[in-house]
Amino acid sequence: MAVAAVGRVLRLGGRWSVAARDGPRAQTLRVIYTTAVVQRKNVAASGPEKYTEAFIKKQIEEFNLGKRHLANMMGEDPETFTQEDIDKAIAYLFPSGLFDERARPMMKVGVFVAFLSTLAQYFKQHFSFADVCLFVYLQHPTEIFPEKRKIQWGEDGRPFHFLFYTGKQSYYSLMHETYGMLLNAQKYQDQMTAQGFPPEKEKKNLPGSRWLTKVELEEMLLEKLSDHDYSRFIQLLQKLVTLPYGNVEEKYMQKFSKEIAMQLQKVVIEPLKYDEQGVAFSTGEGQRKTARATAVVYDNGSGKITVNGVDVLHYFPVLQDREQLLFPFQFLDRIGKHDMICTVSGGGRSSQAGAIRLASAKALRSFVTEKEVEFMRQGRNRNFYFIIN
Amino acid sequence: MLRSVKGLVCHTPKLDHGHALHTTAKDWLSSTVSQDVRILAERSRAIFRTSENDPANHAEHHEGCHYSIPLQEVKAVFPHGLPSPFQQQIKTFNEACLMVRKPALELFAYLKSSSFAHPAIRYVIYGEKGTGKTMTLCHVVHYCARQGWLVLHIPDAHLWVKNCRELMQSSYNKERLDQPLQASFWLKNFKTTNERFLKEIKTQQKYAWGKRESTEEGRPLGEVVEQGLARVRNASDAVGVVLKEIKQQCHLGSFRLLVAVDGVNALWGKTTLRKEDKSPVSPEELTLVYNLRKMVRNDWNGGAIVTTLSQTGSLFKPSSAYLPHELLGKEGFDALDPFVPIRVSNYSPQEFESCYHYYLDRKWLQHEKARTAEGRDELRFLSGANPRQLQRLAGPL
Repeated sequence: MAVAAVGRVLRLGGRWSVAARDGPRAQTLRVIYTTAVVQRKNVAASGPEKYTEAFIKKQIEEFNLGKRHLANMMGEDPETFTQEDIDKAIAYLFPSGLFDERARPMMKVGVFVAFLSTLAQYFKQHFSFADVCLFVYLQHPTEIFPEKRKIQWGEDGRPFHFLFYTGKQSYYSLMHETYGMLLNAQKYQDQMTAQGFPPEKEKKNLPGSRWLTKVELEEMLLEKLSDHDYSRFIQLLQKLVTLPYGNVEEKYMQKFSKEIAMQLQKVVIEPLKYDEQGVAFSTGEGQRKTARATAVVYDNGSGKITVNGVDVLHYFPVLQDREQLLFPFQFLDRIGKHDMICTVSGGGRSSQAGAIRLASAKALRSFVTEKEVEFMRQGRNRNFYFIIN
Repeated sequence: MLRSVKGLVCHTPKLDHGHALHTTAKDWLSSTVSQDVRILAERSRAIFRTSENDPANHAEHHEGCHYSIPLQEVKAVFPHGLPSPFQQQIKTFNEACLMVRKPALELFAYLKSSSFAHPAIRYVIYGEKGTGKTMTLCHVVHYCARQGWLVLHIPDAHLWVKNCRELMQSSYNKERLDQPLQASFWLKNFKTTNERFLKEIKTQQKYAWGKRESTEEGRPLGEVVEQGLARVRNASDAVGVVLKEIKQQCHLGSFRLLVAVDGVNALWGKTTLRKEDKSPVSPEELTLVYNLRKMVRNDWNGGAIVTTLSQTGSLFKPSSAYLPHELLGKEGFDALDPFVPIRVSNYSPQEFESCYHYYLDRKWLQHEKARTAEGRDELRFLSGANPRQLQRLAGPL
């Protein structure tokens, strides 16, 4: 009965695989039912497409060939045809009305090159527009096929890397390499001390650089890392740095460090200069948006200001701009005491006023005590200070 | 009840007594304080005011001081001459105070020392925008009016070369154009200023205004003016007649003539007016301008010609131009040459202080920071000691 039922089901379709249990016990058939749909290879679940290295290489060769063809077509020298020239040539041949660059049709290099090779026969003369319409975008294969993990095993199924079965082969190989460097450094140090040379002073990592972040390291290795892994790696690098002879491996370590922006340095205040009459003056430079200004502030003045050879009333007819010039002097209570001659260029009227304001403030630093300079930087008015303190 | 009232009566004197003491003390303190303030105010007033109201007596020690003109005189002498911000200031402060400044004093010296047998000397007041050229001119006009001169004051010659609604072809000369509205307006103000002269001066020839109207010889000039006011069509010609008569009779010596023109560069510049066929009008095609040009020529004696250059109302001139040859152009410069140039510049520190204290005294500067020294420095910086800028800055404060 059961067999008949089974047979009927078989006819309906699907596949039955019978799991037989070995052993002295009676055979119990456990039926596992799978449908044809499932039996078919699930392409979507197999992960992102993996490119073989050979494929990439072939693409690169074809790209270069295509590039040379294009250079010939445009009448340029194929040897010195850069990516920019390629872009210009494509833009010339196919002016596209689409604004977004990514929207413009992009074609895989392979098909493009195949097309070009047919075109090469009609080269220079028989360009029909329909043919030409097809190649629009020419880019180096590494930009089109983003760096993804290439297939890690060969045709026989054996993986290439010896650490493949750890799961994180790039990470562990990196750790292995770095530790090897560490051991080398220690061996070198031992050799040096054996020979009697004193150990070099420990070199501190310069404050202008930092190690790669976890995200950056993941991008480099093309593997996901855990926080713990990342911290282990950074600890190893730091240990390498602190070793006396660690700086031998500097080139290796530079791969994992990045420059950071210059930190705030202590500003040097220039001393006052004196001109022929013995009047003290000081120069300052300032900028705002695209305006650049230099200001020369003279002592023993009457509050006269000249901008680009013109009186301030004529150069800045708007009150708002003159107020901007007033602020540094007003802050220091030195409104009528200095003369100023400034030059300014670039920008509009508002940014020119702001640039001169900064330049005059910088110039006034030389006339003023350090404490006041600090107040200027923080924007604390002296009078206000007396109120809160 | 009586007891309570008595109690009240008993108590209140004590309170009153205490109160009285308290109030008298306060009164005494406040009186002393107000006395001090008054003394201070008077002292500071002394710095920037002067009681010398006759411009003839203004000397160098009055420099920087404000003198006031009685309001009736303002109406008589300056029906149209003062700049409009100043007119508003007169209304607000209820007095007209002018500052005595060096250019005006210079002009007075020249006028006093010039001989009127010689041809009239031309003075051109020039300077940057907002430095006080028109006010200097008004000062001179006031001086001459006080001295009894006949004042021919054209408040702004630019008004005659732009924004004219009605342009008519002149009946006198076919090629010229009349401006009835401007002419009649000016005649009205001229009449207010120079009433008594209009009765004294007699016409020396017959003028026919139309088929039926005419003015005989020997009639007072007032009739010509009336004619111009009554028949607006003939107003520009009336102006021309008035100018001609005055010029002819000036050398006789019965009166002195002051020709005061503000914005004289309008007479030689371009106009924004167009004829009916859309062709541009040049200044000499306008009757008023043509006659005025004749006045400004120095072919008469017995008076002076004081003019001002003005960029503010001028047409087609860059805003940074203030020198005579820039604003007058070659033609104007040649026409006015030779002249005595008088430069008016921004306030000197002393004049600035005077103006600042005047505003404080008039309670025009209400902001509490404006009274402090820092406020004054800030005002000086922001205005650049320019009178107009200072006046505009002080407005919102």
